[in-house]
Amino acid sequence: MIEIENINKIFNENSSEPFEALKDITLHIAKNEAIILSGVSGSGKSTLLSLIASLDKPSSGKIVVDGELISKLPDLHASAYRAKSIGFIFQHFNLLEALSVEENIIAPLIPSRLDMPTIKKQAQESMQRAGIAHKASQTIRELSGGEKQRCAIARALVTNPKLIICDEPTANLDKANSLKFIEILSTLKALGKTIIVATHDPIFDTLPFESRVIKMEDGRIVNIKDR
Amino acid sequence: MQNNAFFHFLSLLLFKQKNKHIGAIFISVIIIFLLSCVLFISSSLQKSLQATLQNQPDFTISRMQAGRAVNTPIEWIEKIVQIDGVSAVTPRVYGRYFFAPNENSFLIVGVDFFDEQSNRSLQELMEKTDLKSFFATPSMLVGEGVQKFMIAHYYKDEFSFKLPNGSFKKVAIAQQLPNSTNLIANDMIVMPLDLAKEIFALEEGVITDIALNVPNDAEWDNIVAKLHLLFYDVQVIDKREIFKAYKSLYNYKGGLFLILYLITITTFMLILYQRYSMVYSAEKKEIGILRAIGWSIQDILKLKFYETLVIVISSFILGVVLAYIFVFILDAPLLQEIFLGGSNLENRVSFVPTLEFGILSSIFLFFALPFFASVLIPVWKIAVTPPKEAML
Repeated sequence: MIEIENINKIFNENSSEPFEALKDITLHIAKNEAIILSGVSGSGKSTLLSLIASLDKPSSGKIVVDGELISKLPDLHASAYRAKSIGFIFQHFNLLEALSVEENIIAPLIPSRLDMPTIKKQAQESMQRAGIAHKASQTIRELSGGEKQRCAIARALVTNPKLIICDEPTANLDKANSLKFIEILSTLKALGKTIIVATHDPIFDTLPFESRVIKMEDGRIVNIKDR
Repeated sequence: MQNNAFFHFLSLLLFKQKNKHIGAIFISVIIIFLLSCVLFISSSLQKSLQATLQNQPDFTISRMQAGRAVNTPIEWIEKIVQIDGVSAVTPRVYGRYFFAPNENSFLIVGVDFFDEQSNRSLQELMEKTDLKSFFATPSMLVGEGVQKFMIAHYYKDEFSFKLPNGSFKKVAIAQQLPNSTNLIANDMIVMPLDLAKEIFALEEGVITDIALNVPNDAEWDNIVAKLHLLFYDVQVIDKREIFKAYKSLYNYKGGLFLILYLITITTFMLILYQRYSMVYSAEKKEIGILRAIGWSIQDILKLKFYETLVIVISSFILGVVLAYIFVFILDAPLLQEIFLGGSNLENRVSFVPTLEFGILSSIFLFFALPFFASVLIPVWKIAVTPPKEAML
């Protein structure tokens, strides 16, 4: 499903102090596979996620998702790719604080060609799957960390994406909420989604589903282990 | 993008983030209000001025000697009436009378009431005046400013003018000149020619100036040339010059306000620009989030364009409506003083309501274009940066 070939990412490329965040990364991810990117902060996990999600462009190399070269996509197509294929769950949730749970969840569907009743129906299904439907009308400011996380999950699922990308998803959660999150991931895996998680939380060491752990260090893949 | 979903989301953002927009709308309303007031007042004054001057004689002529205005021989009238195209040639006595205690002055205009009237508004006014009593005793018509001044100094029905020989001349106040002429007649006193001559102690056979009309506009320049040929020492003032003088005075005062407006709007736009450009601004994060969940640069610009449009239009409507009420219903207190101040008597005019498309579109463009630029340029800059950076 995802073919990453010789990816390099250099920040401040034209300055006197360029920073090489990713060095010659090659990785193949199959459909419905669960990938755990592990490594310390600054090892390049989040940068790799950003490139797969087309939130940023690699300095060299290519990323092909379902036969489509996404590393060179112009903005309009990259946005369409993100909207259609990617469900991104961020460490800091990145929700629109002034809006309610439901309003945050419909946001990814606004640029689509769907009408309002269809959008609301999809949002309702997504909220139920993430277990946040009972908080639909509450604003983000009124939610706990775990509820915010579930809202972010519901928003990531609302477009029914093939690929779920999570960047340090449990960093701001307590153990109970982290376990709940893993339960949701398990359901998503069962639904056929491809999952990529960047984390250094040991809770991901014992997952209830098959996964491949990729260890990163200083911008390189140093170890791959099936579990 | 399905429009109903888009506008639903737009209204959500506007309503839920109303606190963010209230400040911008409030300042915008004040800026539009000020700009509208200035443009409404200057446009209304120019209209009123045009209407007032419409009823004034086309030309007034007087004798100039060595660059100084001197009395004009009354026999000039006989020569002027011989010029083809000239009508309503009327002698006038014209001069300032100083009310010593406060150094305020009145503009006395003495006209021949029995001659063909050159001043059409005066003709209309005289139709309502009791002519029998007006001519039985020395009487005068006074501008609103004069009347208020006289009442304030306990001259309710009559006023005693001090003559050059030291004696006093009692003159009855017959009627007030129409308010609509306040722009130029606020400090004016209109009285019979002989009475004015007596107050200024003019000798027999002289007046201060002569008013005349030239019905065919195309002949105006020719008539001026003929008058100069006829009298080598004549000064001719046509009403277009008076109009230009008043117009440039109001434009000058309006211009000062426009400079203030430019300073204010530049400051405001810089603040707006800064708000969107700030490295850790809420706007920046919002744009980053929307980009990350699949919104394109085009979608973001569309959202921010409509958001700005709603703010601009609501501020514009509110500002213009408030300015209309302030200028045309409340007669622009304070601002009126600034535009009409400088005259020696307190002047009040009722602004004639004018709503010209040109003025409204100027207000809109002067405000909307810089507003849109100050919002959309930084928004575009954020939208083209990687969403990850914008979300920081």
